[in-house]
Amino acid sequence: MKVEFKVNGKMHSVNVEPGEFLLETLRNLGYKSVKHGCDTASCGACSVQLDGKPVLSCRTFTATVNGHEIKTVEGFSKEGELSNIQRALVEEGAVQCGFCIPGLVVTADALLRENPSPTEDEIKGYLNGNLCRCTGYESQTRAILKVAKDSRGEKS
Amino acid sequence: MNVREERSVATSLSSDKNFDVVNTSVEKIDGYALVKGKPVFTDDFDVPDSLIVKILRSPHAHAIVKNVDASKALELSGVACVLTYKDVPRIAFTRAGQGYPEPSPYDTFVLDKKVRYVGDAVAIVAAESEEIARKALKLIKVEYDVLDNIIDYEHAMDENAPIIHDESEISGAYDPKHNIASHYEMHFGDVDEELSKCDVTTEKTFYTPNQSHAMMEPHAAISYFDANGRLTIITSTQVPYHVRRIIKRIFGVESRVIKPRIGGGFGGKQAVHVEAYVTAVTLKTGRPARCIYTRKETMTASNTRHAMRFKIRVGADKDANLRVIDMQGLSNTGAYGEHALTTFMVAGSKTLPLYNKVNAVRFMGDIVYTNTESAGAFRGYGAPQGAFALDCALDELAHKLGMDPVEFKLKNSIREGETSPVFKVMGEGREGVEQIVGSCKIEECAIEGAKLFNWHEKRERQRIEGTKAHGYGVAFAMQGSSIPAIDMGGATIKMNDDGTFNLMIGATDLGTGSDTILAQIAAEALHTSVGKFVVYSSDTDVTPFDKGAYASSTTYVSGNATKRAAERMAREILKAASEITGESVEKLHLENGKVISKSGKSLTYSEIQTQLFYTFKQRQLEVTESFVSEVSPPPYMVTFAEIEIDLETGKVDVMSMLNYVDCGTPINPLLARGQVEGASSQGIGMALYEEHIFDKNGRMVTDDFFTYKVPSRDDIKKITVKFADSYEPTGPFGAKSVSEIGLDTPGPVIANAIFDAVGIRVNRLPIKSEDLYFKLNERGLTP
Amino acid sequence: MLSIKEYLRPDTLEEAYDLGKMENTLYVSGGLMIASLKSSRLERLVDLKNLGMEEIEDGKRVKIGANVKLSEFMTNPLLSSLNHGFFKKTMKDVGSTQIRNMATVGGSVAFRLGWSDVITALMASKATVELYEGQLNEVSLERYVKEKRRKEIVTAIYIPKNDRFLAFEKFSKSTFDIAMLNVGVGMNIRDDKMSDVTVVVGSRPMISGRIVEVEKFLNDKELSNSIEAAAQLMRDTIKVGGDVRVKAEYRKVLSAALLKKAMRGIGDES
Repeated sequence: MKVEFKVNGKMHSVNVEPGEFLLETLRNLGYKSVKHGCDTASCGACSVQLDGKPVLSCRTFTATVNGHEIKTVEGFSKEGELSNIQRALVEEGAVQCGFCIPGLVVTADALLRENPSPTEDEIKGYLNGNLCRCTGYESQTRAILKVAKDSRGEKS
Repeated sequence: MNVREERSVATSLSSDKNFDVVNTSVEKIDGYALVKGKPVFTDDFDVPDSLIVKILRSPHAHAIVKNVDASKALELSGVACVLTYKDVPRIAFTRAGQGYPEPSPYDTFVLDKKVRYVGDAVAIVAAESEEIARKALKLIKVEYDVLDNIIDYEHAMDENAPIIHDESEISGAYDPKHNIASHYEMHFGDVDEELSKCDVTTEKTFYTPNQSHAMMEPHAAISYFDANGRLTIITSTQVPYHVRRIIKRIFGVESRVIKPRIGGGFGGKQAVHVEAYVTAVTLKTGRPARCIYTRKETMTASNTRHAMRFKIRVGADKDANLRVIDMQGLSNTGAYGEHALTTFMVAGSKTLPLYNKVNAVRFMGDIVYTNTESAGAFRGYGAPQGAFALDCALDELAHKLGMDPVEFKLKNSIREGETSPVFKVMGEGREGVEQIVGSCKIEECAIEGAKLFNWHEKRERQRIEGTKAHGYGVAFAMQGSSIPAIDMGGATIKMNDDGTFNLMIGATDLGTGSDTILAQIAAEALHTSVGKFVVYSSDTDVTPFDKGAYASSTTYVSGNATKRAAERMAREILKAASEITGESVEKLHLENGKVISKSGKSLTYSEIQTQLFYTFKQRQLEVTESFVSEVSPPPYMVTFAEIEIDLETGKVDVMSMLNYVDCGTPINPLLARGQVEGASSQGIGMALYEEHIFDKNGRMVTDDFFTYKVPSRDDIKKITVKFADSYEPTGPFGAKSVSEIGLDTPGPVIANAIFDAVGIRVNRLPIKSEDLYFKLNERGLTP
Repeated sequence: MLSIKEYLRPDTLEEAYDLGKMENTLYVSGGLMIASLKSSRLERLVDLKNLGMEEIEDGKRVKIGANVKLSEFMTNPLLSSLNHGFFKKTMKDVGSTQIRNMATVGGSVAFRLGWSDVITALMASKATVELYEGQLNEVSLERYVKEKRRKEIVTAIYIPKNDRFLAFEKFSKSTFDIAMLNVGVGMNIRDDKMSDVTVVVGSRPMISGRIVEVEKFLNDKELSNSIEAAAQLMRDTIKVGGDVRVKAEYRKVLSAALLKKAMRGIGDES
């Protein structure tokens, strides 16, 4: 079946199988940042933004995104410049293996839009569906707190 | 000694060790690519015309494969091949990616006519698409002769237990007829006699569980013939060189192994999992083959931590001198003997030397086969298992002596300049090496850590308040840095005419940041910045040999190799500059990417290599150096934790954890901190959440992230890391290892804190709220 | 990928219902549950997204269209303020941000999952279910979950608009995990005296249901001094099962413990 949707502002018109998931479609289109980590909606590595809201692409039928807008981490660094969240993650040592990072970036971006000044608990709560096995989460929380602080013009 | 005395530990880092690049938190050099989501992982590589490989797996824990009928599957359009045990070489090997000769038994075949656990491979299917491959799996008819099985490792040596490894080709196993993959015993002194002389003793049995690595990236490999017909394998591995060697052993074929970025490993990728399957398909069909494991395969058919049981006896005199440690163990290696002997030995060799003042030690036990997923290497590698038993037993002994456990453990622990006979007796799979401890800041870790944690103030607090109980625990740990006299690492440095260097290393960055810290070491030695290094790891056709990422050895072994290479490159640069300028080498030195002479002249590295390329004594500056260590300097750590128990449910929360670590010079403090935070979190998972549950047929029920719970973000409250001021004389710029030690303490520190809170000695991980509740209830502690 | 033959996107309820009656066909709304199915017999999916059912209507009771996402309970001003902010607080414990952005209230109810937190919470609020089977009907959620799944389409949930205090407690191994047991409690409270009490226990592992004995016991009593007795009664009367994750005996313990926490929560709040 034919499905049309935007990814990072670019229109795609693709033929997909009826039971195809967005994760598969996006990876086939070359958006390899979208990761396949589990098969049970339990890890968040496949997170993308659907009309601005983080969803799991491994559990989204491509058929349902017709006419909608997807954002992946490839859409975050404009002309090679990192976004504030990406930059803070590198600076705080919050990227170890990096496999969970694309899903984390798109989810954290939505968090900071919904809540520009989250507390530590709010960060952990919002991102609780984004598993990371490397960092113990501490550095990632520090990075997001730092972005929030910086955007408020405070010194971190 | 009284740790309550107001005193500070003298800091010993001499001020002449002023570093420019080392000991600074430079950004991880692969960080940019990773945050941008660049296609750097195995599954991200599109190799045209690839066949999709799937594995048919056994539904039985123990069975003979009587017949495999693949005719229906082969009729399916798009199926390229179905391989069974008849189609692959019958070469016994071990999946364990260790140095050669491996200390693990050769007890594994790519495919065998016997299956030994639910998930064991029966057939390899290759098809044009994932969907066809899946359909083909369903069309293969297998006849099994189901055998009795052993799921509980405490029954592996029972009299009528079925024999799991009865194949004639097995070698290197201790007593396979009785399901004993390996056996080890050592002692010095007479433990029974010493125990009889002790004023206080304690004896208990402790259990640690299987644990899944649960790295976010599942196992994955792609193989293909390159344009010249050379077999090439892109694989998510920690040990590219061992993979190459093992593939050659099995298939008799030479290959090139490329390690791209790795999505976490933690020891789980120190084994040949997928590589043999894709290789078999490429050799059979001539076509590229890719196999990406599902999460379920990663959970059930790769490796797990060795579950261990230790019966431990310890004793001290009335002056709190620890006199004797006796540990009798049993370890579950699962269906195959991967890392069986060595993980068991590490449970002793990386715990016992910490308490070097004892008169007698015994450490012994069996590592047994069962019909469960094969155990393998997992961060900590036995040390967390041993530490759980030893540290908890010492905690109990301190309690019996009426002594602060910090004080008791510190009083009896090793110091700088001392040694332990265990170092010599126990190595990994063989005798160890003698060593004098060149750096040990365990006093700072314990004393300053206690202050930072407010240990003494906190312990004044009422333990039970309403429906909650609070407890405070401490645990001591050590690890090693490399496998001495065995494991080698190499580094190649090539200078370019633009002033950059190629740093080519076989060391395997699997997310740890080793590419970055090795560049820091090279930059320090070459008096330039990290940005001048183009790091490449690892490709067996390009980079020099390195044992791989395991045994806490990359910083220490590969770091020393890198430092040697950089120092030799520095000498080469000085020599070339001397030739160019006509000034003697003694009058030249390196500074900020330049050679400076006493006469005030200077030449940039770029200018030197440009001249050497085109105009002057033309040559490429390139050096390769290797390093094998004679010693394995332990890092040390003292962990303090506060826990809260909900007395209504028995649920335990770790409210805060402080890790005070002596890892020598942290080459990159930020990345080192991340190693400890991550290991702590995995240790908390092992202690509280992660559990393999089997059904009566031996199938793992907790086979995905929905049912196997690794700690999620909200579960980890607060982990603090502090580094002691330490310098290891044999380490690169004073560094020791830091990646594994963080996993050794969470189990014991949580158990000790529970004891502190409610007086219940937990002896089994994971600590389940259900079990704890009923114990609390027995003691009348539930509201 | 699911191996299915057709993904249908009907525009009307009638059409969807007719399509849904075909063999080996399932409705899909958020997609989360369907995507997890491993059934090889499934041939057809009928997507309910084009049917609207996204309304959140204020009135004597609040109507929530079946396609409303769980995240709306936390962000929609009306839903997040209901019953003193009960739903906003409760939904934080359900799934994850991503899951709440995908899962719909209709799907959460229609699958009648034993471990559902949403059903327990809604049942404590005395929600009712509107469904379509050729015509629109409405039944209590309590009755709905006991009925066998047919080809009905859940079209909306109604939550009574009142001042009752509600509390939800969940016990799970990790914070991103399904419940070993969950409890929902609702009541009117005036001068510490309770009335119109609902007590719901889910994930036992059976589907959520009201514990009438405990409700009866609590009505007209004073909250502050009935907690212990109610917990004891809960433990004595609750029917629970064991499974690989947890033994039945411990589920009884949890039912009492979570009831106490819920009641204490209401006591503190009211």
